[in-house]
Amino acid sequence: MHREFNQIGRDLFLQGLNSSHSGNLSIRLGDRLVITRRGSMLHNLKETDLIETGLDKNDSHIALASTEIGVHRSIYKNTSALAIVHAHPVYATALSLVEDEIIPIDSEGQYMLHKIPVIGFEHTVGSDEVARVLPEFLKEYKLIMIRGHGSFATGQLIEEAYQWTSSLENICKIIYLTRTLKGEIKETKSEKYTKW
Amino acid sequence: MNGWTGKIARVNLSNKQIQIEEPAAELYYQYLGGRGLGSRILWDEVNEKVLPLSPENKLIFMTGPLTGTRVPTAGRFAVTSKSPLTGTVFDSNSGGIWGARLKKTGLDGLIIEGQAAQPVYIVIDETGIVVKEAGRLWGLDVPETTSAVQAVEGKGYSVACIGPAGENLVRISCIMNDNTRALGRGGLGAVMGSKKLKAIAVKGSKSVGIADKEKLQFVLYETNKWLKASPVTSQGLPEFGTPVLVNLFNESGIFPSYNFQESQYDDAENISGETMAEKLTVRKKGCYGCPIKCSRETRTARETGAGPEYESLWALGPQCGIGDLEAIAEANYLCNRLGLDTISVGVTLGCAMELAQRNIYDSGINFGDAGKLLQIINDIAYLRGAGADMAEGSRSLAQKHGAESLAMQVKGLELPAYDPRGVQGMGLGFATSNRGGCHLRAYMVGPEILGVPKMVDRFSTHGKAGLTIFYQNVNAAMDALIICRFVGLAVSEEYFARLLTAVTGINYQPQDLHVIGERIWNMERLYNLREGFSNRDDILPDRLLTEPVKNGPSKGHVVHLEPMLEDYYRFRGWSKDGIPTEKKLAELGVI
Repeated sequence: MHREFNQIGRDLFLQGLNSSHSGNLSIRLGDRLVITRRGSMLHNLKETDLIETGLDKNDSHIALASTEIGVHRSIYKNTSALAIVHAHPVYATALSLVEDEIIPIDSEGQYMLHKIPVIGFEHTVGSDEVARVLPEFLKEYKLIMIRGHGSFATGQLIEEAYQWTSSLENICKIIYLTRTLKGEIKETKSEKYTKW
Repeated sequence: MNGWTGKIARVNLSNKQIQIEEPAAELYYQYLGGRGLGSRILWDEVNEKVLPLSPENKLIFMTGPLTGTRVPTAGRFAVTSKSPLTGTVFDSNSGGIWGARLKKTGLDGLIIEGQAAQPVYIVIDETGIVVKEAGRLWGLDVPETTSAVQAVEGKGYSVACIGPAGENLVRISCIMNDNTRALGRGGLGAVMGSKKLKAIAVKGSKSVGIADKEKLQFVLYETNKWLKASPVTSQGLPEFGTPVLVNLFNESGIFPSYNFQESQYDDAENISGETMAEKLTVRKKGCYGCPIKCSRETRTARETGAGPEYESLWALGPQCGIGDLEAIAEANYLCNRLGLDTISVGVTLGCAMELAQRNIYDSGINFGDAGKLLQIINDIAYLRGAGADMAEGSRSLAQKHGAESLAMQVKGLELPAYDPRGVQGMGLGFATSNRGGCHLRAYMVGPEILGVPKMVDRFSTHGKAGLTIFYQNVNAAMDALIICRFVGLAVSEEYFARLLTAVTGINYQPQDLHVIGERIWNMERLYNLREGFSNRDDILPDRLLTEPVKNGPSKGHVVHLEPMLEDYYRFRGWSKDGIPTEKKLAELGVI
């Protein structure tokens, strides 16, 4: 388990999807969950950086858990997710500040994700509001963006949630790059995904 | 209603009364159709006092909300009953065109109850339902029955029927539809036979109501993109049929042979998908609305028929130490004609062969006896000689000779073509399956071998309980819709939630399908507990728990069931004894 967390954490950092101490990962084990330690460096996780605690009930380990533990718990309790990746992808975060939803314009992104909702909150980190609202979106979408903050992606496996996060950043880089170009986009088939 | 017709017919064969019922909309919403609605009706109407082959048992034919639409593979239907082989709640589903035709008569399903005094068959079309005398059909095999019914009713009728095996109450008999498609497992053919019901012919042309045609078109387009993009659904299965799995699983060391004494088969290449395509295949065939077309019309030197599919190929082949492709194909044709479950027949034969190998009981057939296959299969269907014992299934056969551990079964249902010692999650799936040793409930070879959605360590038990539950729930919902399992290898439940929303006009989110699947799973568990099953029945044959694989990629492995099972009960929200808690049942709205 440690190896899997460490590999995904490292790759998130190397891809620029997290800064040195940002983001968190978790998996669900029935009525327990394993989540990264608050303030841990995802690109260099030690075994002691993986904190196991209850899905419903606290135990003493809660003192070490990520500040986003409440959001993770809420997602697990309200969806069938078995893994969560929370990251701070730069291009996606930038785009979330100017869009209400992210519609991929590249073919791969359209296949994979169709549409990524962007949700704005007064308090974005570890808030009850986020914990309450996020699962409702994640019942329908694989991942969502919190405006100006970062992404939450779910999957059956942590690798799967990582894939959606990585895809999201690729989608946003392509959107960003095409917007800096002067030419018109030749195909506009992405428009239909607003209805997804 | 859109998607559903809102009508279910109830046919009592004892008094010939026919009623059309309109179940509550809430019941449709909570259980969808197929396996879901079937299990719920069985829970409400067939209690623990009812014997499977008595008139009080019911046979519930059910379509789903997508049946008869343009959704890929949505031509399927399910039959649910109390199984005479396992004693559990049991559903089996099938493709072909029968399900779509039933739906197009204006019915979502059909509940058969009672017992006819003399053999009968049922005709359903848009004008109504008629029960007809079937004395002259009794004794005919499946193709003969189908032709005879169509000769009277017309070629446009699709026929589901039993063969001689079902008539003779063989506990490993099946119901066949459209000649070559099978509601294969659990002995449902015997339930139909006990009711003296030989066949059901259906013909309909009514359209299924679609709430949002534009949305359906859009989501179908996106769904088909994935089916075309996946090499499994766009190349492997279309090119080689289900036997494409033979080489893949043999190379992984999960392709059992000689009654699971080995986990590979030396002559696998001779019976592979590639060899079958070259030597037997005449043409590809597909079910209603299926773009994959994994079925095969085949020809041997002597006969033409359908299949064998992967499981049948294995059961009548390597499981019995037989690698003669033509002999396997002809044995498969015969099972189809007689209405026998090819998996249970093959595994029961393998059990008999090992009993002979160990000098416990000599039924006259040994591993590798390809030339005796046809005779013994006929003997099973007609209850002759040693075949009469085999007709009761492998567990009964092995128990009779004091060697129950040699029966490769769970809860009485013979195991399919995967050695779980090399796929731990599959082992947990077999042990906890509500209908016994079934691969389709969790189908953990998806993540463990095929890498769908991602490859996991197949020898590890870590995380397998959670994944198994995830797939058991999703697949229960897919069986309620009803969608072919192969589509799930390319398309996630997200798409089916959107398709269901477009068809019904009711907003279903992907998460709703998980909850529906979990509800069905707990419902079925509750049914089995009421029948007297317990956590002691969530077990695998001793061999798989104690005898390490001798050779190949899975060498040295056994199934480590105990730790996975502990997690499984806990993760399901059940007691340590595997009993759903009242809290869980209330949360799911089961009670």
